[in-house]
Amino acid sequence: MEKNVKLIFEKGFPEFSCNFVPKMDIQGEDLSKILPNEMLRSEIDLPDIPEFEIVRHFVNLSEKNHSLDRSIYPLGSCTMKYNPRINEVIARLSGFTLIHPLQEENEGALELMHNLGSSLCEICGMDAFTMVPSAGAHGELTGILIMKKYFETKGIKKDKIIVPDSAHGTNPASSAMAGFSIIELKSNEQGEIPLEELEFAMKEGDVAGLMLTNPNTLGIFDRNITKITEIVHKYGGLCYYDGANLNPIMGIVRPGDMGFDIIHVNLHKTFSTPHGGGGPGAGPVGVKEFLAPHLPFPQIVKEESGFVCIDDNEASVGRIRSFWGNFGVLIKAYSYIRALGADGLRHAAEMAVLNANYLRSQLQPLYEVPYNSAGRFNMHEFVIDAHLPNGVNAEDVAKALLDRNLYAPTIYFPLIVHQAMMVEPTETESKRELDRFIEALKEIYHLAESNPEELKTAPHRTPVGRLDNTLAARKPILKE
Amino acid sequence: MDFVPHDNKEISDLLNAIGINSIGELYQDIPQNLQVEKLNIPDGISEPDLLAEFRRISEKNKQYSASFLGAGSYFHYIPSLVDFVMSRSQFYSAYTPYQAEASQGFLQAIFEYQSAISRLTEMDITNASMYDGASALAEAVILATFQTRKNKILLVKGIHQEYIETVKTYCWGRNIEVEEIELEELDLKVTTDIAGVCFQNPNFFGEIENSAEIVTKIKRLNKKTLIIQCMTDPTCLGVITPPGKTGVDVFVAEGQSFGLPPSFGGPGLGIFAIKEKYLRKMPGRVIGLTKEINGDKEGFVLTLQAREQHIRREKATSNICSNQALCMLSALVYLVSMGKTGLKQIATQNFQKAHFLKNQLRKIPGYEILSQKPTYNEFEVKCPDFNKLARLCKEKNILPPLDLTKYYPDMKNHALVCVTEQNTKEQIETFLKIAEEAAQAN
Repeated sequence: MEKNVKLIFEKGFPEFSCNFVPKMDIQGEDLSKILPNEMLRSEIDLPDIPEFEIVRHFVNLSEKNHSLDRSIYPLGSCTMKYNPRINEVIARLSGFTLIHPLQEENEGALELMHNLGSSLCEICGMDAFTMVPSAGAHGELTGILIMKKYFETKGIKKDKIIVPDSAHGTNPASSAMAGFSIIELKSNEQGEIPLEELEFAMKEGDVAGLMLTNPNTLGIFDRNITKITEIVHKYGGLCYYDGANLNPIMGIVRPGDMGFDIIHVNLHKTFSTPHGGGGPGAGPVGVKEFLAPHLPFPQIVKEESGFVCIDDNEASVGRIRSFWGNFGVLIKAYSYIRALGADGLRHAAEMAVLNANYLRSQLQPLYEVPYNSAGRFNMHEFVIDAHLPNGVNAEDVAKALLDRNLYAPTIYFPLIVHQAMMVEPTETESKRELDRFIEALKEIYHLAESNPEELKTAPHRTPVGRLDNTLAARKPILKE
Repeated sequence: MDFVPHDNKEISDLLNAIGINSIGELYQDIPQNLQVEKLNIPDGISEPDLLAEFRRISEKNKQYSASFLGAGSYFHYIPSLVDFVMSRSQFYSAYTPYQAEASQGFLQAIFEYQSAISRLTEMDITNASMYDGASALAEAVILATFQTRKNKILLVKGIHQEYIETVKTYCWGRNIEVEEIELEELDLKVTTDIAGVCFQNPNFFGEIENSAEIVTKIKRLNKKTLIIQCMTDPTCLGVITPPGKTGVDVFVAEGQSFGLPPSFGGPGLGIFAIKEKYLRKMPGRVIGLTKEINGDKEGFVLTLQAREQHIRREKATSNICSNQALCMLSALVYLVSMGKTGLKQIATQNFQKAHFLKNQLRKIPGYEILSQKPTYNEFEVKCPDFNKLARLCKEKNILPPLDLTKYYPDMKNHALVCVTEQNTKEQIETFLKIAEEAAQAN
């Protein structure tokens, strides 16, 4: 193997003084007098590195990383929209960062979370929200636990959840974590829920509810949405809305009005908080009034005297993590909502849909878009089945995009499309940037005809060439 | 204010290209009767107004000039370069590194974090982070039940109450039985049907237990059960024996102390480290080193994804997808900034300063130090009048210690005091004066 990677550990010195320790201003007792020797550590295998070496190391690493600030980042179902800089400034105000979760004088923090909750209630058509869940999947788990608690409280035994085959993988995984087994529902030719099969499954009587993403991962809004929620309710089930794809419908239509009882929203998608290379996110969960007592601790209630926190209500699912949630993320999301206001949110949704349909219209002559009935439009995203000439596939196209200083769409998801490439441009991309993406995909298509080898061995201009995933999994090297 | 770059002309160009006349046509699949007129949300505002409004909100939270409160969230010094690295948008505006070749920077940073935590804890494998310490403990418990195919968990008294409650919620979800026990009850309770035993060390009351002895005892009773250690302030690893040396199977901790401000409790990160034999059951992402298919260069990729939900769906080891990646980055930068020298000095200062206050407090009539064992940077003390102590602290702009009735209603006048390297001698002396005053009858 070529030795091209230099890890931070190689930049150390045997012993170097540390600049980040305050002066010791009391006479400290010798540790060996406090703790027995076998409980004391003799050495730590971490180097001492001068500050400037560390800065250089991470600046160099950052330059080997493609990010949203460099180009369109069209990952489907991830909603990679611009992260407003002001939110970073606001979230770093010391009145937010230097407050302790257990301090009593926290009125600003509670007010902020309460106001964010009220805004999300209005946007989603729900009655109460919890801010505690720390990511979308954490929200899903919370929501499904709320279903479990609801039926337990009523003394009704229901142990199954219906999840369509187009759903995010977290949906079945979250249901399993709440102790439910999964009924997978196959989408019909229009990419929508087959009503008869849904009713058939619900009739069995042991189904707690349905988890649905609408618009779904094909970017299609299910026209039968109210019929779907009616069927589930008719047989005593609850409807869970996966808010991963909320962006195109903000201010247009509300999940609560569609008949959903529980929803999570991904603040790091729809509400512009940075994804941070994988997190931290936040996945607040909203419910209709009758489910509000089941929300996790701490529940924040506004009363005339101020905010009251409840953490001893028997009906609650209990605690799902420590303290209040990813508060720093909540600040940024609320700032985004305040900046845009009602009109801005709607405009953002509309422009996201406009951008997606523009991309689709320009790419469709060359690229196949399945589940796409004539005359119908997509919402925020669409899925290409990337069978290019000469066996060039979705992975090859993705890698070729990286060579063109663009990021790739989500590939091989949803699972119902064989060579899936799921494209979500978001509203914050200009026509110029969309056109750059379109031209790149057209050029790649023609290259598949003339020189497929170049695509099958792409990328060629990234810091490393195509990496061997099989080797990584067969012989895991997970640390240095 | 919005962040959409289109002007009206661009909008009509896009509509024309699609072949429609209005935005409304794009929404034809949404039934008309469901569409809303306008949300009842205030109008948007400009950046200066936004900043002013949030400044006002932030000022409604009290900021203290000194703190003696910990209990799961800590005020440690944060080197300036930590936020500098976190603020580089090449990192924070990236998504999960699905396209490895264009994400080598973040992938390498995660690999370095995994390595750094493994070096610090001496555990074999570390994942790319969980949400927080509490959910990490809950996931560790689930791992234990998968591994042993047993369905009962023991929680040793002294675990942070919010962690216990979180574990109970997750276990209720998975139908796992949970029992809380005393440390002295291990002999009685560790039977063959136990999937895992969890203990916190240093425990919630700051006391340091001998992990190696606990591990030996449990393994003697049931060698298949998983031993899970949790921790709320891992800065102590600068001086105390690491979990990998004592034989625990899974180590979890809240990582906020590594370069993140308290931020009202989040975001921090859940540190999750295991013995290698549990790798295939581990939750969360992990990064591996590999090489090019058509070349010889090394590179990093997300690996062992067959455990994860996007492939295994309901059979996945966990549902976790988004984690706390950026916070993980700050933990890495913190650890390499401190280095072995800094980590040892910080831990020593926490230890000695807390010890100093504990011994001085002990001398004041009316105060009883309840921690019998050695303690790290927190200890439990029974006060003559906690409310008076807290009130006097606040008058001096000091954040008072934890009132333990918050978690244990019977512990009236019991306080959990935290001292870190950030507490100066002057602050400690002020606190002692306040304690003395609070002991006097009104």
